[in-house]
Amino acid sequence: MTRTTRKLLLPGTLIGLILAVIVLAPVLPLHDVRAMDVPNRFAGPSAAHWLGQDEFGRDVLARLIWGGRASLFIAVGSALSAAVLGTLLGLLGGYFRGVVEALTVRASEVILCLPPLLLALLVVTILGAGTGPLMVALTLLYTPNYARVVYAATLQVRALDFVTAQMAMGAHPLAILWRTILPNVMPPLLVQMSLVVASAMMIESGLSFLGLGVVPPTPSWGLMIRAARGAMEVSPLLLLWPSLALAGTILIFNLLCDRLQAVLDPRNVTAGGALWLRKGPRRAALPAVPAATDGPLLAITDMAISVNTSERSLELVRRADVSVHSGETVALVGESGSGKTLTSLALMGLLPDQLGISRGQALFRGRDGRVTDLAQLDEDGFRRFRGAEISMVFQDAAAALNPVHRIGDQLAEALRDTGDAQEISRRVVDLLRHVGIPDPERRQRAYPHELSGGQRQRAMIALAVANAPRLLIADEPTTALDPTIQAQILHLFQKLKSDTPDMGLIFVTHDLAVVAEIADRVVVMYAGEVVESGPVAQVFARPRHPYTAALIASVPEGAADRLVAIPGTVPPPNAMPPGCRFAPRCAHALPACSAAPPGAERPDPARITRCIRWKEVT
Amino acid sequence: MLRYIAYRSLVALFLVWLVVSLVFLLLHLIPGDPAELLLSQGSLAADPAAVAALRERMGLNDPLWRQYLDHLGGVLTGDLGTSFRDGAPVAEQIALRLPRTLEVIGAATLLAALLGVPLGTYAAVRAGGKADGLLSLLSSIALSTPVFVVGSVAILIFAQKLQWLPAGGFVSFSEDPVQHLKLLILPASAVAISLWAVITRMTRATVIEVLERDYVRTARAKGLSRAPILRRHVVRNAMIPVLTITGLEMGTLIGGTVLVEFVFNWPGLSGYLVSAVDARDYPEVVGIVIVISMLFVFLNLAVDVVNALLDPRISLVKS
Amino acid sequence: MTNGLNRRHFLATSLAAGGLGFLGTRAALAQEGGTLRFALSAFPPNFEAWTSTGTAAGTIKLLMHRGLLSYGPDGMLRGELAESWETDAEGAWVFKLREAKWHDGSPVTAEDVAWTIAEVANPDNAAFRQGQLAMITAVETPDARTVRMVTEEPLAVLPGWFAHYHMPILKKGEPKDTQIGAGPFMLDAIDRGVSLSLKAFDGYYKEGLPKLAGIQAIVYADENLRVAALQAGDVDLAEYVPWQAMDQVETDSALKLDVVDGPFMYLTFNGSRAPFDNPLVRRAAAHAINRADIVAAAFFGRGGALEHLPIAEGSEFYNAEFANAWNYDPEKAKALLAEAGYPDGFDCTMLSTAQYGMHQSTAEVCQAYLSMIGINVTLDLPEWSSRVQKGNEGQYDLAIMGTTADNNDPDGLVSVVDGSLPNNFVRSFGMPTPEITALFARGRAAFDPAERQAIYRELEQVAIDTAPIVGLAWRAQGYGMKSNVNGFANLPGQLTFYSGITLEETFFG
Repeated sequence: MTRTTRKLLLPGTLIGLILAVIVLAPVLPLHDVRAMDVPNRFAGPSAAHWLGQDEFGRDVLARLIWGGRASLFIAVGSALSAAVLGTLLGLLGGYFRGVVEALTVRASEVILCLPPLLLALLVVTILGAGTGPLMVALTLLYTPNYARVVYAATLQVRALDFVTAQMAMGAHPLAILWRTILPNVMPPLLVQMSLVVASAMMIESGLSFLGLGVVPPTPSWGLMIRAARGAMEVSPLLLLWPSLALAGTILIFNLLCDRLQAVLDPRNVTAGGALWLRKGPRRAALPAVPAATDGPLLAITDMAISVNTSERSLELVRRADVSVHSGETVALVGESGSGKTLTSLALMGLLPDQLGISRGQALFRGRDGRVTDLAQLDEDGFRRFRGAEISMVFQDAAAALNPVHRIGDQLAEALRDTGDAQEISRRVVDLLRHVGIPDPERRQRAYPHELSGGQRQRAMIALAVANAPRLLIADEPTTALDPTIQAQILHLFQKLKSDTPDMGLIFVTHDLAVVAEIADRVVVMYAGEVVESGPVAQVFARPRHPYTAALIASVPEGAADRLVAIPGTVPPPNAMPPGCRFAPRCAHALPACSAAPPGAERPDPARITRCIRWKEVT
Repeated sequence: MLRYIAYRSLVALFLVWLVVSLVFLLLHLIPGDPAELLLSQGSLAADPAAVAALRERMGLNDPLWRQYLDHLGGVLTGDLGTSFRDGAPVAEQIALRLPRTLEVIGAATLLAALLGVPLGTYAAVRAGGKADGLLSLLSSIALSTPVFVVGSVAILIFAQKLQWLPAGGFVSFSEDPVQHLKLLILPASAVAISLWAVITRMTRATVIEVLERDYVRTARAKGLSRAPILRRHVVRNAMIPVLTITGLEMGTLIGGTVLVEFVFNWPGLSGYLVSAVDARDYPEVVGIVIVISMLFVFLNLAVDVVNALLDPRISLVKS
Repeated sequence: MTNGLNRRHFLATSLAAGGLGFLGTRAALAQEGGTLRFALSAFPPNFEAWTSTGTAAGTIKLLMHRGLLSYGPDGMLRGELAESWETDAEGAWVFKLREAKWHDGSPVTAEDVAWTIAEVANPDNAAFRQGQLAMITAVETPDARTVRMVTEEPLAVLPGWFAHYHMPILKKGEPKDTQIGAGPFMLDAIDRGVSLSLKAFDGYYKEGLPKLAGIQAIVYADENLRVAALQAGDVDLAEYVPWQAMDQVETDSALKLDVVDGPFMYLTFNGSRAPFDNPLVRRAAAHAINRADIVAAAFFGRGGALEHLPIAEGSEFYNAEFANAWNYDPEKAKALLAEAGYPDGFDCTMLSTAQYGMHQSTAEVCQAYLSMIGINVTLDLPEWSSRVQKGNEGQYDLAIMGTTADNNDPDGLVSVVDGSLPNNFVRSFGMPTPEITALFARGRAAFDPAERQAIYRELEQVAIDTAPIVGLAWRAQGYGMKSNVNGFANLPGQLTFYSGITLEETFFG
């Protein structure tokens, strides 16, 4: 049984039970709902009358079940007829557009100009109370909802290639609607359906309560509540049963709707929430880190990043060894899925909730000279470093900037040791000017969507360097940009480097041309492992790992294109080959390569490679 | 933006006209003679001569198109006519009653939002936890319990048994502010319950969604602490859809407080409408429907405009 | 800590002082008579004094206005603006007015009375008494205190017309919804649809009345809430206590209940078509229904079986021999049905309304019993307005109705029973009753009590045999009040809705 069906099991079973009882009502051994027994009115529960007797001495249980029949019949009936009508209107409107749309979808929306209860009230007074008028009223009420849902879905599906193809092939529009579009709009329809049933029951009971709904002596839950209300003090149980039945049934339908939504749209299922927002127990004092008087700004040794699921732990990144000296630019290169972004996020403590550093160290030398192991920090620990010591430029500036705040405000928020408003404003303008945004006084008042892609990335960079961090991590900062803009942004990084010579820079990219231009050293990652590192010039001149060599070979002359020339794909994290992870794609692989993970070899004091055959193949 | 608002207003006015014409015609089709009803109060037999005279006075003997044009003409000049029952100007009566309904809706919305936004945010932050499960259950129950059940039980407990609050009714604020607010508590709370559930759920869903957004990660990367991130980057952004839903819900409440007004004897617009329909007081019914549908349509427009103001990405002109 | 305590203590005392000050003003008011908070069941649709605007409006009229006569707590006619009334030699009624003042201070004169009668008789004013007052051919005012009303034939029932709450005397020239009256209270403020405040009129013609300083009439349309408000102490007096809550009010030590059997429920028929055009079928229906279950189910035991015309047991016109004339006897009902040619029964529709619980419950019980003799009844329960129209147009086979007669005199039943009147939902549709019409006319013209008793006995005999309507149940009409409310009385029988007249004598004590 899958997780989804398990989720639907509870509400499904309950609804099945209710429906079964209601459908079977005529054959169940129930009392006659109309049989009065006035001398025994308000009698409490007894063997003959399990739930007691009402103000006419009628059996409450029988009336409850038959009442549910009336309520559900109206609710489900009107939900179905509204679904048919609304789907028809929505399909026609969405498929044909134009006049048809105006006559179907838009016309039905006139109904939405009136508050729902008011509309139901008007229809019922006009047609007279009773089951029929109620169903007409509720059908009218919910038709536009369906029409809207189906219309939107139809528009979406209509634009899909296979539908366009069918249209081009001259298939009959009705056939297309029936065969392709209808099945596609079913999921939203189902959700809408359970929603409407719940809502229709609510309105039906309200109208019956006002005496405008179901006509007695047909029992209905709304009517039972209305009658019980008068005798609330004499017999509170009489009010309780129909209220429970009504609220319970609506609750189950709402539950079904929620579950359906969750199943059909798994995006919404977030089990964990945001762990970083929860204050965890404060960690014990960090273990003392042997402090050398001098050393790299950042030294990552043998770091692993794992998925922490309860079943097993899976290492997405392992044996990561990277070091960055102050003033140095290190490029982190690899295909997508190689773990380069995860590694950089780990340094900020920004890994997704399910991931964590499971092994190794990431020693960072702070401004005050103290060394901290980033791998041991919790959320609060990281916060001291973020922005002030380590900061990050994200790949997609459009998404990384908050759309509802002005650029200047977002920048001001990042500033530490701020002064008064004037001072802040001056610093913001300075920063924007520093990253090359023209007219910064005006631009600081702009919203992110009002800036061009390049300017947004500049603003993002301004955000990152606002507090002159010791280590800047740039995660594919140019990937989303036009080539001309890419060059400008790259140029900006170079300028920033020369302006702040002490800052270390980790530049994450898959673009070797960029690496050659900006980096001092390069770290090549493949499938979550560092396979080679060394000074850029040396590595490019003479790669010591077949993967690096393949990467370099795949770059077309003078262009920075996607790395597509290596045959095969990066293996998924749960199916990593034993031994060398590149072996399955490697032209030089031997059986020994797959036997055990290769160790780090140093062809040169400044270089590392993880290939057992480096001497032969490069 | 102004052009957009003007355009939408025109469409809205057209819709209101459509609705009102429909209601006017339907009203005359339904059984029930206002003159007869007025004169047979207390189940007493009315004199046919008196009924005929009253019908003439009400203008009910004119052809329907004539009555319609007369009425529409009046509406266009801002005159909603006078009540069949006591000749009171309809506009004046609506002006008296509308604020009361809006007050209940406003108080309920305030209450629901003040409780719903923090709780929804909390549930989102603790998604999957016990508190989240409890809130989800509570909000489901709140959504499923009809307002007249809540109201009846609340009166039984708080007014009759505990005698903490008056059972229902209305006293104007200027007359007795304390009593006015006491009377407001129960109806506003009853309305607030389902609204609270809607706001809580919507807040939870959008906060969860916003928490996944890149800009929240950016805010963390800036070194901001939890509170400002939550306030400025999570809740602030999540509020946009929550506000939309709340606005739309408020719209449906304008005509939907009928049950609450009935149960708590709160003399608002919805109850007024029901009594007008009961008495077949055509000018009153049409007047109230005009006001309610206008409010409803323009509230929806206002929601769109406020959305645009809150979310600078939305450009009304383009849509 | 001490500071905090002191502060809280200070706050508490100042609040208490404020509360006491507030109570102080209330207490001062109470000494002058106090203001009674009265829970009304409906807001008067308008203030037109002569229009039939319902019983709640009637109560307000009894506070603001006075007629020539009224009914006292004993149910007997008594003088109000008229000191005395008698017929003269020609059979005309002569009313002598007492010295009374309008709320604006001017005296009530014979001319005001004459003007009022002329206005009421004018159909354009849509007055409740228009039909009857049209029978007054001339009004003479020999002096400022004497009014002489001439009718074509002597009319014994004429004074009763002028005791009705929809028949007050208005000041000449005032609009018909004037707020100037001669009653014990003056309208002070109106919050339309919500409440009315009235204050005592110090120029009222009865010495020492009214005892209250004012009345605050608050509308509670929902009966359950009306009781809740009484129990919660929001009001001092509530009308229309729902039957299911009467026990509750009676057992509450802080409250008391004043209840009488007055209004009644009955069946009306469509006499214009089969099967109910046949008196045998109507009588079959009359014998088919167990009234005790209606009283129990619809009125929670508050009321009584009504198996004859609605003439109360205490009335001098009550005929003991008819007390169980329409008794519950299913065998007889079946026999009558067979005699009428329906041995297997038939299908028909019964009109009632879902808007009022008692109409609906009564209909449900009747439906259950009629089905036992083979009459399959489909209920038609539209809301009240549609029910009125369907009743007026005869869109039903039989219908449930409930009302009160004009007064305790049998002539008050005219509007319910007399088939010569135009079709109306309160009586059977299309059912001429020539014998009954003639007897009513004779009764109106007869002055001798014994003669009148004989006429109305004959009338009831005819009614029992032809069943133009069928009585079902008396229903109790109750006023609930706090135990300290005194002087208020629920008038007997059909007069229960006249009870507002006793508010002039009501006081707290």
